[in-house]
Amino acid sequence: MTRLTRSLPMVAFAAVLIYLFIPVIATLLYSLATSWNKTILPEGLTLQWFGELFRDTRFIQAFGRSLLLSSAATIAAVVVIVPATFAISLYAPKLERWVQTLVMLTYAVPGVIMAVGLIRAYSGKGFSMIIIVFGAYVIGMLPFMYQGTRNSLRAVQAGSLMEAAELLGASRMKAFIRVIVPNIMPGILVSALLSFSILFGEFVLINILVGGRFETMQLYLYAKLNTSGHIASAITVTYFILMAILSAWIVKLTGRTSKPNKEPSAAVAEAAIPTTKAMMSKEAS
Amino acid sequence: MSYVQMNQVSKAFQEQKVLDSIDMQIKKGELVTLLGPSGCGKSTLLRILSGLTALDSGTIHIDDKDVTPIEPKDREIGMVFQSYALFPNLTVTDNIAFGLEMKKIPRDDIRRAVGEMIELTGLQGKERAFPRELSGGQQQRVALARSLVTKPKVLLLDEPLSALDAQIRKNLQQQLRSIQRELNMTTVLVTHDQEEAMAVSDHIYIMNAGHIAQHGAPHDIYTQPRNEFVARFIGSYNVWSAEALGRIAPQVEHIGSKLYAIRPETFCAQPLEGGLAVTGTVSSVTMLGNITRMELNVQGQHVVVDQIHRASDWANVGDSTTVYLHPKDVIPLHDATA
Repeated sequence: MTRLTRSLPMVAFAAVLIYLFIPVIATLLYSLATSWNKTILPEGLTLQWFGELFRDTRFIQAFGRSLLLSSAATIAAVVVIVPATFAISLYAPKLERWVQTLVMLTYAVPGVIMAVGLIRAYSGKGFSMIIIVFGAYVIGMLPFMYQGTRNSLRAVQAGSLMEAAELLGASRMKAFIRVIVPNIMPGILVSALLSFSILFGEFVLINILVGGRFETMQLYLYAKLNTSGHIASAITVTYFILMAILSAWIVKLTGRTSKPNKEPSAAVAEAAIPTTKAMMSKEAS
Repeated sequence: MSYVQMNQVSKAFQEQKVLDSIDMQIKKGELVTLLGPSGCGKSTLLRILSGLTALDSGTIHIDDKDVTPIEPKDREIGMVFQSYALFPNLTVTDNIAFGLEMKKIPRDDIRRAVGEMIELTGLQGKERAFPRELSGGQQQRVALARSLVTKPKVLLLDEPLSALDAQIRKNLQQQLRSIQRELNMTTVLVTHDQEEAMAVSDHIYIMNAGHIAQHGAPHDIYTQPRNEFVARFIGSYNVWSAEALGRIAPQVEHIGSKLYAIRPETFCAQPLEGGLAVTGTVSSVTMLGNITRMELNVQGQHVVVDQIHRASDWANVGDSTTVYLHPKDVIPLHDATA
């Protein structure tokens, strides 16, 4: 009985892992399989599908579009939201309540509803729908950028640093650029990477608002699902690898936590991390 | 003529008055301490002087110039924060150089000035270290060097030593005082530690609940407290009412005050010429290192007696004992004049 109760958590944990990883492993194997129809494991391995994928200019273009759209939206979000968060948390803390409400709103509106609303509001009125998607992306990143930046500002005690810099003769602008930005950089970077990885995988808005006119990687993947399972798997694996690299980067930035004297940069980056939970709840919804 | 002059400075936070018509004069080169319990308004007064907190009414003049409307960055004031607020991304050298860079001083002059400051504060060998690699005392010295290098008109110190342990604190107190004297730097120190205030100040302002309770040279404040608050805060004085004094020591001439203060260490175990005998029951005996503190119950009045610690000639709890007091050591508190 005791042995059973002791091993039960391990069994449950293993079951969850298997449940989560079987599709991933199967996708990976399928992307490398020559053919896989009647056997338990693939009949042979090949890089043919990846070769085909990377020779396909349509894929390269779609990948480039995704990269361009996600990074441009992320950069715009950083440029707009970081200074705004700084100004609000230091000089207008009363407004924080309203920002919190805005943050909640971005969670409350499901993607489909937002897409329909945006079509109703802007479609056929002379606006390029890509610009509308871009704007929605920038605003959609508010929760991650805002929370990450605010936590980083708190972790470095931005208020005292600003006061010290000002008394040493720096203007607020100069103090912000010379003192605050370098110190919260790890936090900004983590928030930006999270934002980027969310935007890179975004499908609902771009599909409904723009569709095939601006084919991103997700749209290309969707199209390929109906033609070639192998190619679709290769796309998915490519996407996974990209996300793994980004995640490793985030882990590296927030890591070094086991050291007794934690590097302040790691503390700042870690302060930005609660956004991961937010991201998960957003993806789940 | 005073170098720093504050007139009728008042400040309220959400209707709560924290500073009420404060007047203060500081001479050039003086080290002035704002001393008081937490929440008395001393840090707010310091922040108002620096310009970081706006005042509601009143004026501040520094070197004959009205600085009341001037922004912190242009006030030429140096400040060492309680948390030091060193820039974590910059080395010791770059932290110290920051203020000079903001003034667009030529690079060679900056290097020379920073070098001098590092020497003055004894930070040689730490030039390339980051703040996190330094001890608390070293960080404090970097903060001091960073504020001094720009040659401010006034240096403000907001409880700069409170985060350090006793040994280092004593050491840094002396260093701070010698650097301040060497540079003839007009300095305002905020502290809640009366020993620290006594040790380093030329002039002490004791604050209580947004008012200045008393100000003067350390010796004057210690020997001539004006009111009960100062007497209790500065020297753990015995404070007796006129009625209690009449009961315990009827020989002392009443001069019309409601309250009288007696320093615990003025009591003497041996009879004094012209001294009064005060007899009571010992309620506790505490060793405080170099002094021994005895608490007596004298006809219902609690009396604290401090004596230089000697081996054995102390009474035990419950014993009846007599101590002697010179009438001149009974200080009438003027602010409570009947």
